[in-house]
Amino acid sequence: MAIEELPLAVEQAAEAPPPQRRQRGLWRDAFRQTFRKRSAIVGAAILGVLLFMALFAPLLAPYGEREVLIDSEGLQPRTEPCIHLSVNWIPDVPVLSTLESFLESNGFSCSPNEPQHLMGLDGNARDVFSRVLYGARVSLGASVAAVSFAVAVGAAIGLISGFVGGRVDNGAMRVMDVLLAFPALLLAIAIVTARGPGLFNAVLAVSVVTIPVYARVIRSRVLSVREQDFVSADRALGVSRPRILSHRVLPNSLTPLVVVATLGIATAVLELAALSFVGLGGDPDTAEWGRMLALERNQIFTSPHLVFYPGLMIMLNVLAFNLIGDGLRDALDPRLNR
Amino acid sequence: MRQRRIRWVSAFVALGLVAAACGGDDDDSAEGDDEAPAEGGDFEAQSFDESAQCGTDAYAGNLASIEAVDAQTVKFTLCNPDVAFPSKVAFSALGIFPEEQLEDAASGAIIDSPIGTGPYKLEAWEKGSQIVLTANEDYWGDAPGIPTVVFRWSEESAQRLVELQSGDVDGIDNVGTEDFATVSNDSNLQLIEREPLNVFYLGFNVDKPPFDNEQLRQAIGYAIDKDRIIDNFYPEGSIAADQFLPPGIPQYQDGAETFTYDPDRARELLTEAGYPDGVDLGVLSYRATVRGYLPQPPQVASDIRDQLAQVGITVALDEQEEGAFIDNANTGALSFYMLGWGADFPDATNFWDFHFGVGASPQFGTGFDDMHEVLTEAGSTVDEDERADLYAQANELLLQHAQAIPIAYGGSAVAFDAAVEGAHASPLSNERFAVMSEEGADQLVWMQNGEPSGLYCADETDGEALRVCEQINESLLGYEVGGTEVEPALAEEWESNDDLTEWTFTLRDGVTFHDGSTFDANDVVASYRTQWDAADPRHVGREGLFTYFEALFGGFLNPPPAPAG
Amino acid sequence: MLRFIARRLVSSIPVLFGILLATFVIGRLIPGDPCQAALQERATPEACAEFNSEYGFDDPVFVQFGSYVGDVFRGDLGNSLQERQSVTDLLIDRLPVTLQLSAAALFIAVIVGVPLGVLAGSRHNSKTDVATIVGANLGVSIPVFVLGLILQYVFALQLDDTPLGLPASGQLTAGVIPDPFYEVWGIGHNSLFEFISNIDLLNAVLIWRWDIFVDALQHLILPAVALATIPMAIIARMTRSSLVDVLGLDYVRTARAKGLRERVVITRHALRNSLLPVVTVIGLSLGTLVGGAILTETIFNLTGVGKTLFDAITGRDYFVVQGFTLVVAIGFVVVNLITDIVYTFLDPKVRVD
Repeated sequence: MAIEELPLAVEQAAEAPPPQRRQRGLWRDAFRQTFRKRSAIVGAAILGVLLFMALFAPLLAPYGEREVLIDSEGLQPRTEPCIHLSVNWIPDVPVLSTLESFLESNGFSCSPNEPQHLMGLDGNARDVFSRVLYGARVSLGASVAAVSFAVAVGAAIGLISGFVGGRVDNGAMRVMDVLLAFPALLLAIAIVTARGPGLFNAVLAVSVVTIPVYARVIRSRVLSVREQDFVSADRALGVSRPRILSHRVLPNSLTPLVVVATLGIATAVLELAALSFVGLGGDPDTAEWGRMLALERNQIFTSPHLVFYPGLMIMLNVLAFNLIGDGLRDALDPRLNR
Repeated sequence: MRQRRIRWVSAFVALGLVAAACGGDDDDSAEGDDEAPAEGGDFEAQSFDESAQCGTDAYAGNLASIEAVDAQTVKFTLCNPDVAFPSKVAFSALGIFPEEQLEDAASGAIIDSPIGTGPYKLEAWEKGSQIVLTANEDYWGDAPGIPTVVFRWSEESAQRLVELQSGDVDGIDNVGTEDFATVSNDSNLQLIEREPLNVFYLGFNVDKPPFDNEQLRQAIGYAIDKDRIIDNFYPEGSIAADQFLPPGIPQYQDGAETFTYDPDRARELLTEAGYPDGVDLGVLSYRATVRGYLPQPPQVASDIRDQLAQVGITVALDEQEEGAFIDNANTGALSFYMLGWGADFPDATNFWDFHFGVGASPQFGTGFDDMHEVLTEAGSTVDEDERADLYAQANELLLQHAQAIPIAYGGSAVAFDAAVEGAHASPLSNERFAVMSEEGADQLVWMQNGEPSGLYCADETDGEALRVCEQINESLLGYEVGGTEVEPALAEEWESNDDLTEWTFTLRDGVTFHDGSTFDANDVVASYRTQWDAADPRHVGREGLFTYFEALFGGFLNPPPAPAG
Repeated sequence: MLRFIARRLVSSIPVLFGILLATFVIGRLIPGDPCQAALQERATPEACAEFNSEYGFDDPVFVQFGSYVGDVFRGDLGNSLQERQSVTDLLIDRLPVTLQLSAAALFIAVIVGVPLGVLAGSRHNSKTDVATIVGANLGVSIPVFVLGLILQYVFALQLDDTPLGLPASGQLTAGVIPDPFYEVWGIGHNSLFEFISNIDLLNAVLIWRWDIFVDALQHLILPAVALATIPMAIIARMTRSSLVDVLGLDYVRTARAKGLRERVVITRHALRNSLLPVVTVIGLSLGTLVGGAILTETIFNLTGVGKTLFDAITGRDYFVVQGFTLVVAIGFVVVNLITDIVYTFLDPKVRVD
């Protein structure tokens, strides 16, 4: 989720949930609601494919992640794609023949004598398709890790800050404001430069930069839930504060968090790719989409497949989470008429 | 230097001799000039005689004295013979400035707006954007073919190419490896290649285990398939390295013995080194910065890792940020790394001494005495055959000690709009725009890799800066267009004594600087003196290092204390 | 109203202090010895001792922070170690470039994003809505650097000789050096004037050179579009969801019940309120724009704040890092303050308070 949408997210989080719904009912409803939207279905489908790729990469990939093919296949780096699927059967009608030549120039109908490489070879003569598959692991893993860490820390800050209130709240929120005042990418670059390039540090940088977002959203939610009757009732009954936090406040704060976190994964993917692009991603041999794209950005005109495929994957990754997040938001927004 | 661009001055020997012959009579005259001074009276000849300091501990340099004999004649005296003196004099760091501007050096104006005698003068420098030069109407030589030259820069090769192809820019430097074909196949463009005057090598710090093991280092030497690296990651014109010197350097040895690609021998040596089952060597460090000797650092690093893996050597890649990497190299903190070197001046000493001589850079750890001996001797021998022998010995020693494994000499190229006439690439990277022209065009836009840090040639070492200030300031001599032969520039003639210790230059008459002031021998003396004497108040530049003067002539008068580490 | 403004101003003070502290820490976080980075080969122990005492690197940290704060208040941001300029001068050179680019990008984002959002929101859950959402999300999803390169390829190369051709660089055509307006007008020269004159579009207007204006505009289009895609998508998304929210409110239902046509309902009743959150978005977009500007500036060869900051961080130019991040962060706080105030003016609910 982008920082610009923070105020709206905060506002939405402030709306208390209908207290009479039981938790499980709310979730099941939300789920159904979300996936009634066509766009969310599309997002889920894309995510499904990406997950499948990530999980089964070793099985699906025809070559190894780091397998160099210079000697074994005698191919040059940056070889164009070769797809053993003939398109010669396409009739010679004007529009279709343009399609045919477009497909051919992208690898279709290549000779069965040439080894098949669906997405061509990269700058080190490694199979791009295989690396794209393995890259799904890193992209999904890294972005989810970054957001998870940020959510954990941010939610903790927001929970305590909102519940305790007073000077703790003030102080914590000022610190969050300070963090938010810096453009995310710049802060991330500074952090990675300070700690050294590498995937771990990049993930750390991206999560630190987004902690304030989750802190703010949770805090807003907490502030409103705090005023609810059932919390007052608990207090009157003498329930301890930590227990109120964990049993009342926290479960009721999850809904906006899920929305924001889902959208946040999309942003994390982009930030990680941007960090790789400026050269702070670490080991060039690990198949990471942002890194793959960054290494070949000057070959965009001579070997577009090297930029196109990783770029497309990043896009799909971000799109999937954005669509699902949007759907969730619409579904969980209590103000929308159902 | 490794982080500077290639500076190919000229072959000291051959051309120095040719230059000496061209200069005129070889007789023993100290004052042999045929031209009468053009100016009468009012000329207060400057001269500085420091010959008493020759050979003392306090002075390591070779210049003994410099004297303005009259308004049109300058004489240099050296402590020791230097066959290559004319070639050095032609170097861009020895450009001539007006005395008045040098007096003002401390203000820094000379760095941003140098005044010279060149075919172009500085019109404007918009920091971050462009440098605009306009033609010098009163130029003593042929008028420049194009009235305005604009310098631009971008670090991205694709960016430079797009601008060239779209016509926004007329010439670019460092065509990307993959773009050579694109440019060649485009009839609107012309591709001009530069020969490789650099070396790319794998380096070891021999003090750090496990790299203190000579057999391990040799094993790595045999494990590398240089041809595979050249074929796949270098542009045309690149050559697999067989010694530390590239072929353009005069002391290059034909048929030197080198590490061939021999995985079996590599495995044998590994076993002898104590690693029969392979070994994990930690990290291979490098920086992502593109250089002539290494156009694709991450790809080459990956490939080397792959090649080493095939003989059982495991290594992890450690890509470091540029500044940190160089600092680490300079302090000997790197154990196993990729680095290279571009020629500052075309002599073996530039390559060998910095890396393996006495007092060499700590990047390789403790040096070897046998190499020190050979190199010290080679650096002070004048006889070229003797030197060749000595450097052949050095080659063998390097093969044995293997603290550096030379891999490639990297070629590069420039590209111009096909309509530009006189377009050329200089092996010294000093393209001369004054000889270029284009029909109907009154402006030529050139795009290089980076912005100059300053335009005071004397205190710059980066090719990006030197290329610009060379259009503005001229030296006593110059290099032919697109080549390395020395030719007259501000001096019409020159001659020396038999010893090659006294050199007399006859200056051109009627030359004016861009600000209208007259050029005479005092400007030459002032320009040299400013760099020569570190205690001179004018000895102030952008960094104040005057690196090339020190490298070419051995040292400064009243030198500052040596830096620590 | 005034109390609200005063309260917001007061609560900004600790944030500003925090920013000062944070920029100081960031500057010190960059690894490596400042003396080494600045002097490189001349970094002898004596030179470093002098350097450290001159710049106060050998003082205790608190003292350093104190003098840093003092310097900032005096307007002294130090000198760049890499460039031979003071940080303030660098700011005057570089900030206008980024401002111009960001303003152009924001303009495009609003002009395109708001109507798109309204379109989608007014046809909630229809095919148009879905298409707009997917389209907007695609816009958010394309990495800026990829989009930039593609735009260059299409407009600078493929369409080169057509009327649609656009230049690949963000800078003015080579050789064009516009006169600063204060020279043309013959008025004095100060930092503010210099700053303004570095905004090419504005300067061109002030010196009445339409050819330069057009040149600047042509070069600005591609980078602005590349930079605008993400804010545009966000604004579209926000407008849409805000409109959908408002359309669900009672007063809209009343309007509909009164028999008003949908279009009137939207434009006359719903729109003004639904645009309120968009105001806040515009303010917050500044952060994204400056961040995204790094990549755009690299691809389109503009020397703006983003690129300078990136070079300074990786080149360990401490004072530039400190000074620039400080200015950017403070700018962000100020812009947000202003948008908050504007929002308060516009939002009837708050006004009633």
